[in-house]
Amino acid sequence: MVENGLGQRANIRRDTWTRRLAKYAKTASMAASGYIGDSPLFMFDYLMRVLRVLVLLSIWRIVLSEEGASGLSLQAVLTYTLISEVFFSQLNPRTSMEDAFWQGTIAGRMAQPLGLFEQFTSETVGRWFFEWCCFSIPLVLISPLLGVNVLPASLGAGLLFIVSLLLAVSVGLALEYIFCALLVIWQLPLWVMLQIRSAFITLLSGAMLPLAFLPDLIGEIFSWLPFASMASAPLQIYVGAGNTLLLVLLQVFWSVLLWPLAHWLWFKGREGMISYGG
Amino acid sequence: MAAKLNSMWRTLKRIWQLWMFYAKLDLLLLISDVRLALIYFSSELLTSIGSVIGLLLLAQRFDGIGTWTLNHLYVLLGYSTLVLGILNTFFNYNLSLISRRIGRGQLDHVLVQPQPLWMIFITEGFAPLSGLMGLIPGILLFAWGLIGLGVSLDLGWWALLVLNLFASGTIMMSFNYIWGSLAFVAPRSSEEISSSASRLLDQLKVYPLDGLGGLLLGSLMTVAPVGLVAWYPVRALLGLNSSAWSIWITPLAALFMLGIALFCFLKGLGYYATTGSQRYSSLGHRS
Repeated sequence: MVENGLGQRANIRRDTWTRRLAKYAKTASMAASGYIGDSPLFMFDYLMRVLRVLVLLSIWRIVLSEEGASGLSLQAVLTYTLISEVFFSQLNPRTSMEDAFWQGTIAGRMAQPLGLFEQFTSETVGRWFFEWCCFSIPLVLISPLLGVNVLPASLGAGLLFIVSLLLAVSVGLALEYIFCALLVIWQLPLWVMLQIRSAFITLLSGAMLPLAFLPDLIGEIFSWLPFASMASAPLQIYVGAGNTLLLVLLQVFWSVLLWPLAHWLWFKGREGMISYGG
Repeated sequence: MAAKLNSMWRTLKRIWQLWMFYAKLDLLLLISDVRLALIYFSSELLTSIGSVIGLLLLAQRFDGIGTWTLNHLYVLLGYSTLVLGILNTFFNYNLSLISRRIGRGQLDHVLVQPQPLWMIFITEGFAPLSGLMGLIPGILLFAWGLIGLGVSLDLGWWALLVLNLFASGTIMMSFNYIWGSLAFVAPRSSEEISSSASRLLDQLKVYPLDGLGGLLLGSLMTVAPVGLVAWYPVRALLGLNSSAWSIWITPLAALFMLGIALFCFLKGLGYYATTGSQRYSSLGHRS
């Protein structure tokens, strides 16, 4: 009888998990397909990103000799730049939560049978699938034409990159939810804060410039901040630079610290939430 | 002739009056909430700094980029910041991102006003105080670079600078309006097209484009005229181009782009006159 009860409970739990995963997958697929209907301008942004990567590659070729600088060869820097663009959205994960504040749809989101973080994370991941197909994979495929070797420094580096990328997404999403919670708690003007954030995040994270290329003290300070765990850490691992163990441990540290903080801030702030309108 | 001059004088006077009126509104908006004003000021300042700091640090680390010395780059970054600062000062409130106004049905708010459309467009977005913080870093960087270069500059050079700044701004605005005119036809899906177009120019305008191949450079000078926003005019102004005529390329390109933008906008406006905004129909997307 007891065994039966436990078995039933396990089944229910399994069922709940599979149902939940199915809901996440459905949300993700809706977000991915919604791209074409709702945001036909995505090609414009992809074009901009291709142009940006071409310009950056050309700048590196002008600035660096074959030996490179700060322990990074020219080829490693080119790989770093291209992989940074290939995984741009994972290295700087952005949900549509701010937009939901702005449109006023956040209230409806709170009534849905999924947690807020789960809804927005699933949608974000869904959009990534679309982006990988339309942008990232084609960019990798044309990389030989750009004279860039996209392979990781070694097989081990490639495998560790996957782990580090997952941790980078974790840190990035935690920071995204903290940012949104702070917008609510301090009632800050949304677009203004987004502008500031966009202006600095690519620099602080090392997504555009390897932190090793920044003036000494600045680069050193930036490398210990959580933003560096979003992009600099996985990219360094990919090209075989930096202390891998330290980079991964730092990512784990920030992930463990920031997620409870994000939850706590949302718990504290949600009562005071005011959406901006419709 | 006298009547024509008189009419021109009255138009200029009206533009000045409207600028003063919108400047006053901008001031009232800022002093109505000091906290908000401080946030706006600091955000403008930080965004301007943020858009150039990456390249600045890189240039510092490598003591320039290719043929561009640090001082050349200060001038380039200062110029590109100034162009955006000027646009934000004169064409704020989505006047530069016209697809938003069209897509949201806000163009009707302008069409019912007792002013010519062009006059509203050049005056309504005037926000000298809100845009001030975007201009200051540009002015400082530009001045710093010029002092470092130690070149002697005459009145003619300053006139050419103003002309090129005006031309670069016109190119950015025209590019936004060319794409933004699509919002007349597809208001919902093209509502943000001007911001995407603007982002394209804005993000790439700070880079020196010297090392790019012919095809890519050609595209960045024509189809997506990133090079004309800062790189090419600064090269011409600093005498880095061999031809003396290069100083006129950006103003000529601005005239050409302005022509295309006018054509696209008027064509779209003609279409809009037959359809109106979906927003105000009973089944409108924002009804």
